[in-house]
Amino acid sequence: MIDVNLNALLRQYRSNPYEELHIETPHTGIITFNVKVGDLVKGPSGAWKERPGTTLFTLEREGNVKKITAERDGEVSFVRDEVDGEFCEAREHVVTIRHRLSKDEIINFILRKVLYVFEAPETARYYLVPELEAVRDQKKEITLSPGDDFLIMSLMKRDTFLKYEGPKGTVFRLYFKPGDIVEQGEPLVGIASPEDLDIVDKIIQRIQSEWED
Amino acid sequence: MAKQKILIANRGEIAIRIMEACEELGIETVVVYTKEDEASEHVQRVLREPSKSKRAYCISSYKDPNEIFSVCDEAGCTAIHPGYGFFSENFRFARRAALRSRPVTFIGPRWEVIRDLGSKINTKRVAKSLNIPVIPGSSTPIYNEMEAEALAEELFFIQKEQGIKHPSILVKASAGGGGMGIEEVRELDAFRQTYRRIQNYARRQFGDEGVLIEQCLTDYHHLEVQILASRHDEYVHFGTRNCTIQSTGRQKRIEVAPGFDPKMVNYPFKATKVLNDIVEHSLKLARHVKYDSVGTWEWIVTRQGHPYLLEVNTRIQVENGISARISRVRGLGQPNLIKEQIRCALGDELGYSQEDISFEGTSIELRIVAEDTKRGFAPWCGTITELRFPQYEWATVHTHVPTDRPYKIPTEYDPNLALAIIWGPTSQDAIDRAKEFIDNTVINGYGPRGESIITNLPYLRERLNACLRFE
Amino acid sequence: MQDTSHVLTQLLERAQYLGDIKNDPTWRGLDEVVERIKELKDSFYDIPEKQLIREIERIEDRVHFLEDRVAENITPMERVNIVRSTHRFTLMDILENVYDSYTELGGEGECNLDPAVVVARAVISRFVKNKIYSHQVMVIGHEKGKGEEFRNGGSAKPWGNDKALRYMKVAETEGIPIHFYVFTPGAFPIEDYPGAAQQIARNLYAMTKLKVPMVSFISEGGSGGAEAIGLSDFRLMASHGYYSVISPEGAAAIEGKIKEGEKVPKELIEHCAKELKITAEDNLRLGTIDRIVQEPPLGARRNDFAFFRRLRYEMIRATDEVVLKTKSFRAFRAYALRRKKEEGKDVPDEFDVVVNWNLNGLEKERLLEARSKKYRRMGLRFLKEGRPILPVIKKAKEALSRGYYEIRYGLLKHHKKSVKQLIDDVSSEGAAMLKTFTDPVLSVYEFMFLEPKKRRRVVKQDHSPLHSVFTQDWEQYTSPLSNEDRTVTCPNAQKYGCVDLWVPDLYGEFAGVCPTCGHHFPLEYQWYINNLFDKGSVKEFNQHLASSNPLGFKGFDTRLKRDARRTKRNSAMITFDAEIMGLKVVVAMLIGSFRNGTVGTVEGEKFVRACDRAQTTKRPFLCYVHTTGGIRIHEGTLGVIQMPKCTMAVREYIDSGGLYIVVYDNNSYAGPVASFLGCSPYQFAIRSSRIGFAGPRVIRETSGTDVPPDYHSARNALKRGHIQGIWDRRMFRKNLLEALLRMGGPKLYYR
Repeated sequence: MIDVNLNALLRQYRSNPYEELHIETPHTGIITFNVKVGDLVKGPSGAWKERPGTTLFTLEREGNVKKITAERDGEVSFVRDEVDGEFCEAREHVVTIRHRLSKDEIINFILRKVLYVFEAPETARYYLVPELEAVRDQKKEITLSPGDDFLIMSLMKRDTFLKYEGPKGTVFRLYFKPGDIVEQGEPLVGIASPEDLDIVDKIIQRIQSEWED
Repeated sequence: MAKQKILIANRGEIAIRIMEACEELGIETVVVYTKEDEASEHVQRVLREPSKSKRAYCISSYKDPNEIFSVCDEAGCTAIHPGYGFFSENFRFARRAALRSRPVTFIGPRWEVIRDLGSKINTKRVAKSLNIPVIPGSSTPIYNEMEAEALAEELFFIQKEQGIKHPSILVKASAGGGGMGIEEVRELDAFRQTYRRIQNYARRQFGDEGVLIEQCLTDYHHLEVQILASRHDEYVHFGTRNCTIQSTGRQKRIEVAPGFDPKMVNYPFKATKVLNDIVEHSLKLARHVKYDSVGTWEWIVTRQGHPYLLEVNTRIQVENGISARISRVRGLGQPNLIKEQIRCALGDELGYSQEDISFEGTSIELRIVAEDTKRGFAPWCGTITELRFPQYEWATVHTHVPTDRPYKIPTEYDPNLALAIIWGPTSQDAIDRAKEFIDNTVINGYGPRGESIITNLPYLRERLNACLRFE
Repeated sequence: MQDTSHVLTQLLERAQYLGDIKNDPTWRGLDEVVERIKELKDSFYDIPEKQLIREIERIEDRVHFLEDRVAENITPMERVNIVRSTHRFTLMDILENVYDSYTELGGEGECNLDPAVVVARAVISRFVKNKIYSHQVMVIGHEKGKGEEFRNGGSAKPWGNDKALRYMKVAETEGIPIHFYVFTPGAFPIEDYPGAAQQIARNLYAMTKLKVPMVSFISEGGSGGAEAIGLSDFRLMASHGYYSVISPEGAAAIEGKIKEGEKVPKELIEHCAKELKITAEDNLRLGTIDRIVQEPPLGARRNDFAFFRRLRYEMIRATDEVVLKTKSFRAFRAYALRRKKEEGKDVPDEFDVVVNWNLNGLEKERLLEARSKKYRRMGLRFLKEGRPILPVIKKAKEALSRGYYEIRYGLLKHHKKSVKQLIDDVSSEGAAMLKTFTDPVLSVYEFMFLEPKKRRRVVKQDHSPLHSVFTQDWEQYTSPLSNEDRTVTCPNAQKYGCVDLWVPDLYGEFAGVCPTCGHHFPLEYQWYINNLFDKGSVKEFNQHLASSNPLGFKGFDTRLKRDARRTKRNSAMITFDAEIMGLKVVVAMLIGSFRNGTVGTVEGEKFVRACDRAQTTKRPFLCYVHTTGGIRIHEGTLGVIQMPKCTMAVREYIDSGGLYIVVYDNNSYAGPVASFLGCSPYQFAIRSSRIGFAGPRVIRETSGTDVPPDYHSARNALKRGHIQGIWDRRMFRKNLLEALLRMGGPKLYYR
């Protein structure tokens, strides 16, 4: 059964409803900033997220000028101005966005404490097994029982099937983007068992009504 | 020669070996690395050395050619050494290096040669025309079932003629590779079904339903011929290697030079003649295509002593060290093949010919890997706390694992730890010394759950007994 | 008092109608008049009768005065407003007043498959010598409704047009004429099955050879939507209606390059309405309609019974003429002359003859022949023929070549053998076909089009003897796009992790295809001409036909010239003979670089001639659409009629046994897809292309809903059954050959 001090959690988020997003250069190239500190930026929009977010900076590599856009809304709190117009290496931290947590994100964070969370056993790339990926594509619910093959762990060029070990339940949240490297111990999926579903719904409802964006 | 600066587009021990070779040649180098590899010795070594200019660049991936060229221009490099793997046999990369608006030298053969020899079918077709033996089978993709069945029948017939007890053939998608879309057929009646399955697979997967059919060889040794050629029509070889001892995933684990030793093992065929034949055949093909770098000609030699050319690797190989170890060049002593490769790519002449090369003793390479050989060679990852090798004048070790601090094996790459190159005056001596080397090697570390490290040292020690022998 | 209320209501309607026409309720103090009428309506009990009558008379004078001012000069845009007014008559009014009785088919009112399309079996009668004679007809038309939401403003859904087609076939079975009534701003641009474009194409295809007399009457003819039930033997048009390729607002947005959501200037809309030549008189002059039905000076409203009488007379007259033409030309002449004499007079109460609207077999054939001629000739007056051929000589030539091909194919049957041979060979030659793309390519960097670029260029390879010993030299076309030393990002990079592509690799060896995800980058049409067909087999014809500006659309001449200079072509259509593995085909190609591949008079005519050429030479006909933006709006309805015209040619080619294959690439939208392309039984698309009726913006603006970014993707078109397959560009040649052999059957083509 779920046991969580919701009030304390909500208090904690109320006192600091922000998240700092560190934006790194995805690859090498000459950087040109399009934002300055204090600018408000927008994440992707549209019903299908088809309209990209605000351009943060451009990277020019091999004659290709690529726009790097904001993934979420927020305020620019840091820009590494001294590299403007210079060659940057890959994965350099160049911009920070102070992002105000939305209601959905608060729900996500709190659910992470509430749900049965399956953590990454190794630092590796993870994928859903194709059958579940297909279910997810159809926007249907994924139900898991102990012993089900549910994830593919790609490690050292080898793919290993991971068996689900935990209570039977419904996948409530996926915490990773298929194909990305997930550090060991980071959450992969959040699962709610059938008997907990009610409580989870109640928690969501409470945050929905109490949290103001 | 104009002032050169070489970008090393690789990681691990080969990056270090290239760096050392360049130092000896007095050429500046620049390395690239990914965030995960930051702690690797090939990066740390460069960072330790005082330098006027930046010599190490963080990139997003070793596999993105755009990153390599981007850094190459930024750092003002004039040439790129691809090492092995990654871009070493990528003709498009070599072509782009040559044709871009700021051309850079690709350290390897001309791109046309990489492309042409990179196609197994092409290689087979030309080898056949030069009377070089290749594995019996189709030399072009087959699209017609009747033709395929006729060939399959012929292949079974040939094998029966040769007295092979369990004849079989392989059916593979011509556009495939890396073990994808290959099936074995053990009797002619089952052929049609398999053929259609592979054809469908090929059409779905590669959009090309071409299929290759060849004899399936099961009992053979894997031999290699080390070739070196310059851009001035000079061709030499550095003998042969035997790379038969491999993991289940077809990864080489122990290599021996020379390829056979009739003094130690009794072969049911004339081993010296076979070795001479494959060297001569390899040189013939190299001359024909105007090869101009280091390269390895891979051969299969069956228990009956039939050699077949398998493919050509147009790059420096991991095991180049053992060929160098048993070779002596007049006036030069032991050659360094990486140095020779760089010299040739930059346009130098060899300065010696085959008559100046002699061979001495046997050399064995051990690939020390963190893997569980009892569980399908599953890679092991964790942190290395201690790595100590015994010091012998007959052993050389190449490693990118730092020995002065703990090292976490990056999960993105193979858990190779070190290469040990052992030399002995006879094959038996070399095997004994290799065992002695293993016995005195210390590797300690722990895994993610605190368990202790697993390496393939016991496996290597046991498999040394199988060196050069048909089992 | 009841009467007063009625009078006031009528006055109010008249005043509001004027506001509709001017699209300005405040025009010349109209709003005050309306206000005053409303006040009177609310309070006429409180006002002394005399004063009330005086007041009403005063207002009536005022309204009358304003009506006269409006009627003096009705601009094209005002005609559009008239048609859009809720006061205008609709199809239901016609059914009530023009026909004696009717039964709605396929739904009633809101309870309907598509309430925007009304189908009815109806009876129409005439007096001859004081006796009533009735005719059975099928009435099919759009119902705009009186502002009811469910009528969708007469914008037919795809299934509405499908319903129309079903009952056209019923009429054909029963042998009764069809009366079409076009009251549509355009078809509803959704792709749900059966699909807006595809269904219109199916309708057109069927209507070209429907074996019953068809008469259409256009009040609001909105482009493709109008054509879905507009193809007919006789086309009438209301004098105050409009018939146009696009709404004036739509044209203005395109002409003014107005961004979505921004306001389009009123002056620009009016300018476009004028330039588009949308009035009945314009259309009569262009030859896109046959006759005008005169309306009252301000246009007919719901209760203009005199107009309905006229409409009934004109519908009967038109049907009579269509029928008589098939029976006896002399009878038709006599009838037409008599009716002509009556013109300008009031509608006569009686007809002097009864014409039987049933047709026998021979008459049906004549009907179809006349229809074919009518559409094939439509708009041809405006064709600029650069190198005229004397018609007699041309005809003789055609007859000669037809004779030749009939002998060659009909008697000798020589080709049969060679085709059989070809099929036997093809499986093994699949290898040879593939080679072009899968084998290493030697001369990728020998550029054919060396155009100077300011950007970084790749280094040209010198011809050193150090070349490949494996591949034989073959000349291959390489895209001029591959000349730059730079990289591009695949649009799917986020999803599939595609690495940036080096442009010379991408546009050279990769044929514009991302090796990671298979995304197809657009390539110029020359690539296809060079890579699809056998070397040296492409021979263009009708090169001399050049696009022009038949409507004299202001400013369009310079744009035409600019495109001609830039592309070195004179129209968006290229037609040529070509061979694929020795197999002769006729090809029509719509290219995107010329006016965005839009179809006008010349493009349509070139298509028709290519289609006819394929028919006379008995060869398969391929239409490759590099891109098409639809019908060229600057040619107005002359562009629109290319839809039925080209479909007519396709239908006749297919009926004669031809094999017609359409392949879409890049972007294919609107009119052409909704007619001569969409009617092909074999339609394919190149990967990453988009096919549809209207783009996302138009959908948003007409339906108010957003569509997903992949709404028009080839994949979705395949899902919806619009196309039969998606082809990889690198396999185009192989797939095309296979399609030709497979769909053509053992005799290859010509049943």
